[in-house]
Amino acid sequence: MEAEAKDQLVSIEKPALAAPPDWQPVIIGILCNWCSYAGSDLTGTSRIQYPPNIRIIRVPCSSRVDPWFLIKSLQASADGVLVSGCHPGDCHYISGNYYARRRFLVIKRLLNFVGYHENRVQFSWVSAAEGPKFAQVVAKVTEDIKKLGPLHLYKKENF
Amino acid sequence: MDYTKQIQEIAANLFAEGKIDVFVGYRTTGWDNNQVPVLIADPADVPKLVFNDKSVFNLVNYLKREHTRNKRVGIVVKGCDSRSLNLLLTESQVKREKLYVVGICCEGVTDEEGNKMQNCTECIVPNAVVSDVLLGTPTGSETVTGSYRLNSDVEVLHQKPLAERAAWFNEVFEGCIRCNACRHSCPLCYCEKCCIDQETATLYHGANTPSSAFHALMTWSMHLAGRCVDCRNCEKACPSHLPLHLLHKQNEAVIYENFQEHLAGVIEGDRGAFYKYSLKDPDDFIM
Amino acid sequence: MSFSTFVTDKAGLQQFYASIVEKHETYAPVEKFGNFDFVRVTSLSECDPASPIERTRSIKPLFFPRSAKIMKYVATSAGTEVSETDEDPYAGMRVILGAKHCDARGLQVLDKVYNWDYIDTDYQKRRRNTVIVSARCDKAAAHCFCTSLDYNVENLDAMDVLVVNGPDGKIYLKARTEKGENLLKSDVARHATSVADEASAPALKQQYEAFASSFRLKMNYTEVNGKLSNIFDSPEFEKVSDHCVGCNTCAFVCPTCHCFKISDEKLKDTGVRYKSYDSCNNGYFTLMAGGHNPRPAKYRRWRQRALHKFVYYKERFGDNLCVGCGKCTVACPVNISIFEVANQVASTAM
Repeated sequence: MEAEAKDQLVSIEKPALAAPPDWQPVIIGILCNWCSYAGSDLTGTSRIQYPPNIRIIRVPCSSRVDPWFLIKSLQASADGVLVSGCHPGDCHYISGNYYARRRFLVIKRLLNFVGYHENRVQFSWVSAAEGPKFAQVVAKVTEDIKKLGPLHLYKKENF
Repeated sequence: MDYTKQIQEIAANLFAEGKIDVFVGYRTTGWDNNQVPVLIADPADVPKLVFNDKSVFNLVNYLKREHTRNKRVGIVVKGCDSRSLNLLLTESQVKREKLYVVGICCEGVTDEEGNKMQNCTECIVPNAVVSDVLLGTPTGSETVTGSYRLNSDVEVLHQKPLAERAAWFNEVFEGCIRCNACRHSCPLCYCEKCCIDQETATLYHGANTPSSAFHALMTWSMHLAGRCVDCRNCEKACPSHLPLHLLHKQNEAVIYENFQEHLAGVIEGDRGAFYKYSLKDPDDFIM
Repeated sequence: MSFSTFVTDKAGLQQFYASIVEKHETYAPVEKFGNFDFVRVTSLSECDPASPIERTRSIKPLFFPRSAKIMKYVATSAGTEVSETDEDPYAGMRVILGAKHCDARGLQVLDKVYNWDYIDTDYQKRRRNTVIVSARCDKAAAHCFCTSLDYNVENLDAMDVLVVNGPDGKIYLKARTEKGENLLKSDVARHATSVADEASAPALKQQYEAFASSFRLKMNYTEVNGKLSNIFDSPEFEKVSDHCVGCNTCAFVCPTCHCFKISDEKLKDTGVRYKSYDSCNNGYFTLMAGGHNPRPAKYRRWRQRALHKFVYYKERFGDNLCVGCGKCTVACPVNISIFEVANQVASTAM
């Protein structure tokens, strides 16, 4: 796994900050309404615990996710982003997730190309019945981001 | 490669027969041997037209609405230029019947130092793919299967470790002054309310900071993914000489290697990678 | 008040520059991707004060930054607190090396508008605290026409220290202001010898004459200014601007363009108000709330640009807004030359 040099990736005005001991990552979760959001709801009603670092945004379909959402999140306060949709073939709008799948690959590779670690932006297919899977996905993403530390690259200039 | 005489003749005839309102071509600057675009409305100016290996700018940029709205246009296009024209036609931005297209079988153009431009040395679609008249002898392959090559600069960057790439791109984006010359020179950026123009930016960072530059350039390259024809108008326009082709070529490489699509604008009516999907698209990066 | 003149040679000049870099906060041209931008330097080897003019950016961003924070706010339960931003990073005592003449002149022109209906205290402070060391070019670049305009390049006092390459490898350092005098006295005496004005005048004149005769572009300024004042409705404006792409580049690289926009950026409960560059060439520059845009067409914006540069500013402030540096032409994606625009339109006047 490629290592991110935390000391080198700086926001323009302040030098790189090491993660303070009580640092908690901020993860933006963009979930499609029909499968992933419902799946996350099932996780909750099943009383399955998952890390609370994720902030969920509901969209009608994974295809609604413009690459801009990911770029903007990473520029603002997110340390990582998770995008989740229906399994291929199960999209409520028939083919939305097929289009989304293409976009996701390109934006993921582009972000890695310009210097983000590949684990900063992650994707999953979680159906409405996959409560436990959602918890596992969030746990994995949170763990990955915790290992990478706070994101400083290209952040909005600190106020 | 010199088609000056032929183009002057064609333009003169078009004006004489009343077929066009404006002819978009190249003229010399008057102070060096480089060329700049010229939009000729007066037949008396036709002798200004030239065409040779210094005719670099992608003139399809002037088919955008604000430049030649409602006019009948004669235009000179090279291989890459014609691909962007194809895309504009496919995306319903220009009417074919309003155009007279002079296609060139291009042998490559040179930059200010006289060296062949990088996209020309790696070009695989040199002949105009749409034209009313084609000048020159068709060479090279117009289908792209099997002959696509990864851009050499992108390849070099792929070999570098992540931290080095990050540091390098950080430096690059710092040089951006948010002048928007890139998006105004791009023939495919025809949105009148562009999301990265700060004037119309409500969603996007309006201030000229390095972080906003990153934001804008990344978004812009994603909006061009699957549509960029590598004409290098953007890079030549950039006053900070940023290597913008890196972002576009990276996207092109991912699209070409993973989705079985033609290059942008080669096939008439083909809208580009993001307008289609395949059941076999790669899925292994998704949990 | 008379100011000192010193003479030295190439080595002495380098030592003078090096001692400035050592003792003062110094900004000098540093190369990046083929352009020279004025950034902070800590050693002389990082920069090139003699950078070629056609690839050197303006010093304007050191006085009017590309984006500057002007205000901060925090939203609290008690209301919104507005506060000053942190210390202005451009307000310290500093020296600029290698500024071009036209750039320094551009600041003199800008001083007028920044001291007009609103006194821009940030700008004033930056001007007061900066000493400009400028080398007069030995020859003009392809798009220069500073000598055609209405100021005397030979005796330009816009810079604090003037550096001129004389004959026989001699280099003259001339203080033009009190700030320049102080800088010279404190830093150069070890590397140069003082010389009387009368003794140095012939060499300076000779250099100026060689420089003035190297211009490709010469304009009859009074005539052009006179004609452009009466030519608002000329259809020639459409012709000269037809291949403009409508970006912001010319205004951003110009040493005298001063339009700006205000934008607010927020993050949760805090926010910052930024002032950044804007350009009248942009299609939406004059777009108003309600949707009306008095300059929707390209040629109107180009007309406004040409007339602002050559007519309006002079009418109001007595100075031509264009300083003839040619940076806009070099930076323009299609190399539109404001010199050509002004002349071409003026030539159609009756």
